[in-house]
Amino acid sequence: MLSENWAQQIVNVATIGGMYTLVAVGFTIFFGVLGLINFAHGEVFMLGAFAALVVARTLDFTSTAGGVAMIAAMFVFATLFCGVVGAAIERVAFKPVRRAPMLVMLITSLGVSFILREAVREFFPDGANPLAFPSPFQSAEIRLRGVVISDTQILLIAASVLIVIGLYYLVERTWIGRSMRAIAEDRDAARMMGVDVDRVILAAFFIGSALGGVAGVMNGLYYLSIRFDMGWVMAIKGFTAAVIGGLGNIYGAAAGGYLLALLEVLIVALVPEGSEYKDVLVFLVLILMLVFRPSGIFRQAPQKVG
Amino acid sequence: MAELLRLEGIVTYYGPIRILKGIELRVDEGEVVALLGGNAAGKSTTMKTILGLITPAEGRVIFAGEDVTRAQPAARIALGLAPVPEARRLFPSMSVYDNLMMGAYVRRRKAGEEIRQDLKRVIALFPRVGERLNQNAGTLSGGEQQMVAVGRALMARPRLILMDEPSMGLAPILVDRIYEIVRQIKSLGTSMLIVEQNAVMALSVADRAYVLQNGSLVIHGAGRELLESEGIRKAYLGGAG
Repeated sequence: MLSENWAQQIVNVATIGGMYTLVAVGFTIFFGVLGLINFAHGEVFMLGAFAALVVARTLDFTSTAGGVAMIAAMFVFATLFCGVVGAAIERVAFKPVRRAPMLVMLITSLGVSFILREAVREFFPDGANPLAFPSPFQSAEIRLRGVVISDTQILLIAASVLIVIGLYYLVERTWIGRSMRAIAEDRDAARMMGVDVDRVILAAFFIGSALGGVAGVMNGLYYLSIRFDMGWVMAIKGFTAAVIGGLGNIYGAAAGGYLLALLEVLIVALVPEGSEYKDVLVFLVLILMLVFRPSGIFRQAPQKVG
Repeated sequence: MAELLRLEGIVTYYGPIRILKGIELRVDEGEVVALLGGNAAGKSTTMKTILGLITPAEGRVIFAGEDVTRAQPAARIALGLAPVPEARRLFPSMSVYDNLMMGAYVRRRKAGEEIRQDLKRVIALFPRVGERLNQNAGTLSGGEQQMVAVGRALMARPRLILMDEPSMGLAPILVDRIYEIVRQIKSLGTSMLIVEQNAVMALSVADRAYVLQNGSLVIHGAGRELLESEGIRKAYLGGAG
């Protein structure tokens, strides 16, 4: 039986899962086109939240209409900002070492991650402390048979679902999506078809990082507090979600994000003091996945044709 | 016949090793030319040089009247060059439809209608491929995959198709089928440069042929002549085919 309590938990899963999914999709896209686990992605997520904070502090949003405009401005600016940052990271940090052994790129991504995190701590006003994230929402709550959904949650759930649908369209139906998939499968064959591999990889970084930025704004709106080191935990969660779905598999990452959120909510609900352990659980899941199902829960070993 | 492709004194290196040692080759409009030779003779390197995956140290590549020696593959494909790569190199987890569309990639900004027409034409040529458009390319049989690879090249509306070992890894009956297709494409007026180890098969369809040995062209002649010349057969073409 689905009690009210469980229905409530599902709402929470949909909210948090949407954020995990958006971050996981970035990880899986970067892995697809470059074979790279980009640990700087968590910091791009963090920058999305900070970019939105700057917008919120700059603009005034006293009226209701102003609130809607504010939300839109926060998302648009953070998305574009993170897209550009992600593309710049690819050009400056990853492209020069693209032909080097994989470990070099991995360490490069850790270096970029440190630089971005410490830069925010040092140079953002009061950046070393948790900062209040202003939300234009009045925290209106809708009660549906005892299930409480806040207006923030409705927006976050709707936005993440719409973005995943949009991403599906982009990946399956557009030339940029098709060429991204082709590069992920066989970079040289894609070149033989005339694909400008450098440009498509750059576009992939823009898209993946922009989605990370969206998740950053969502995180701020939901928890109402952001911090320079919020990217680290999110990177592990997004990466775990991507691994659950199978690295390189975009739909797997989407499913993995919601699954991970479900696991977290379950442990909080079922285990006494479970909320203390939920991040530990994520690490545990990551380790178990990497040991026993490194290609994800959906797929056997990837098929290769000779 | 009008000249379509010309290689002038092509020299390439792989590290310090000289792979091609001054290749001179031409393919005319509507012509099928075979490039034969054993393992490591430089056949694949020649193909990669023509497509633009390797830039030669010396010499020029002229295609469709333009010097494309330093041009990117995309520019050459836009001029009418299309590869059927060695081992096919399909995108195995992508649908047959998406694989075919990748062949039209450089024309993506043109009218979609034109591309749809080309897709219809390819399906008419390979009905079996048409039945499997939504299937992943990796699930197809070897023969079907080769048809997708040829279909993908046709999606570029090519003037010259570069076929790299089209018979490799296929059962003899499928090799016959592939060469039937090659004849069909030839009858449509599209030029082809076919790299083959299966010399007899390639020569049966080629107007002219070159034999490559250790990075140099050692023989050049009409396809039928080479096929009938017993000495050449023994010396260079081996027992293949």
